[in-house]
Amino acid sequence: MAVSFTPIRSLLQTGTNTSSRWFSYLGLGIGVLLLLCSIQMFINIQQLLGGESPRKEGYDFISISKTITNETMGQREKNLFNENDIKEIAAQPFIQGVSPLVATRFRVELSAGDIIPFSTNMFLESLDNNFIDTVPPNFNWQEGQDYIPIVFSSDFLEIYNVFAPGYGLPQLSEATASQVMVYITCYGENHVQQTFRGSIVALSDRVNSIIVPKNFIDWANKKFGSTSDVKASRLYIKTKDANNPDFLSYLQQKNYKVNKDKTKFGRVKQVLQGIFSGLGIFGLLVVILALMLFSFYLQLMIARSKDNLQLLLMLGYSPNWLSKNVSKQFIPVYILVVVIALGLTEGMQWAFHHFAMFNRPELSSWLHWSVLATSLLLIGLSLITNYRMVKKLLYKLV
Amino acid sequence: MQLQLQQLLPVYFDESQRNASEVWRRDLIFSKGEYVKIVAPSGSGKSSLMHFLYGLRNEYSGNIVYNNQDIRNYSAEDFASFRKDHVSIVFQDLRLFPEQTVFENIELKRQLNPFHAAEKIREMAERLGIGNKLSSKSRICSYGEQQRVAIIRALMQPYDFLLLDEPFSHLDDVNSQNAMQLMLEESKLRNAAIIFADLERIDYFPYTRLFHL
Repeated sequence: MAVSFTPIRSLLQTGTNTSSRWFSYLGLGIGVLLLLCSIQMFINIQQLLGGESPRKEGYDFISISKTITNETMGQREKNLFNENDIKEIAAQPFIQGVSPLVATRFRVELSAGDIIPFSTNMFLESLDNNFIDTVPPNFNWQEGQDYIPIVFSSDFLEIYNVFAPGYGLPQLSEATASQVMVYITCYGENHVQQTFRGSIVALSDRVNSIIVPKNFIDWANKKFGSTSDVKASRLYIKTKDANNPDFLSYLQQKNYKVNKDKTKFGRVKQVLQGIFSGLGIFGLLVVILALMLFSFYLQLMIARSKDNLQLLLMLGYSPNWLSKNVSKQFIPVYILVVVIALGLTEGMQWAFHHFAMFNRPELSSWLHWSVLATSLLLIGLSLITNYRMVKKLLYKLV
Repeated sequence: MQLQLQQLLPVYFDESQRNASEVWRRDLIFSKGEYVKIVAPSGSGKSSLMHFLYGLRNEYSGNIVYNNQDIRNYSAEDFASFRKDHVSIVFQDLRLFPEQTVFENIELKRQLNPFHAAEKIREMAERLGIGNKLSSKSRICSYGEQQRVAIIRALMQPYDFLLLDEPFSHLDDVNSQNAMQLMLEESKLRNAAIIFADLERIDYFPYTRLFHL
């Protein structure tokens, strides 16, 4: 028959000091709530601002071009980046990566077939996959393939939707845009021409262009174009901090123009993440304080019940069994406190998603698994610290 | 099962006390089934001896060996099972939980390693004349009643040695004999030894060995 703890419970004098116990529970609850909310908000920001993929984390991606002035207007060589320019930029300490936007060197015509009677002269560009924020797995091309996947700037789609009604063309949602099959005709010298099929496989917020796989541009420039040397009108730069003064003065000195709009997003994200990291650390501190307060309460309780506990040990109760059971008393309260905090965090997340973010698909109304994992960890942590504490105090009484 | 005292002496005793004693600084072996009477005037270290044997204090030189193991090497857990399974005690100062009822006091010991069913508590209490006190808090019981509670509590567990430290100091002769009878019966059931320390000889304890402390 297992020894029952029930008759022993009344030997622990808890009644006299309830307020400090409830304060520590409250403190624990607030701390846990802060911590969990911060983690969830941190994850929300990651998901909202496209920080999902780790290779983009912590970097700003910006495009630069040479400033076209009245003096350089007619001279193509001076307005394009050559290989030496690229090498020099890549060698700068504040730049972690550079990739040229290589454009087509021949005439490209794009038409949407019979469904949307629309055709236009166009350009295509290529960029290293690492620099594109949205790269689907089917974004590749092989020689002989007549289908070309396209990563399309979401800004361009917006522009199209602005003028489409005026031309009697249908406006397109992001979802339908990717279903429209387009025909891309490349015209080379000596009346060489070839038509490919293409479709939008992803929209990009970062890259203001029509991006196709790099090997297609390389192949097509050789086949339809006249020059094969790399000259790009725009470069994409990966940098730790687009607002680094060294970086900005370098651009100024070189007379390069930077697309500043795109860097703002990165700054906002950094600031928000900083705020929530700070809040999370504060929450953790509150949790630690609450656990400390609770341990004082435990010490007081054991000091008050010292005679009874000593007599129990004298009668032959195992100190280990007693420690386990004394600390077990607080399991339900601990779980309750964390579950309430978890519930409130879930409510916060739902309200944030529903009212502040209008159910944006990037976010979920449900908590991220790491928030649940953290709360489990917190329960475990508080139980272990309690158990060790009680055990230490009880062994002193032996 | 043997309890051995090897050259035992409290560290706070001086030479004169040591020489007069038949227990201190001697080699003694107590075995199961023996009834040992230790006659000890005040200040001769009676309670010290009982506390040493029960493992509550260790300010002694020499060794106490139980079942070939020196109890000085026992861990806190070892002592817990020593007191739960092998050695029971009636303290001179009783040591009850004042805020618990008589029944709860006894049950707290019984549930730890039940030798008897819970009904036995009432039966023994009736027999010792405290049947009507079972639901009273122990602190409002008289010393004599508390002493009987402590005696019943000691009989709830299995044991090889029963240590009695002036168990009848607050009881009249009739009640003492009654209680002694119960303890003898219970010890016979377990084939256990009784080590009985008191100020003077008591006629109704049928000792097999006698020592002067």
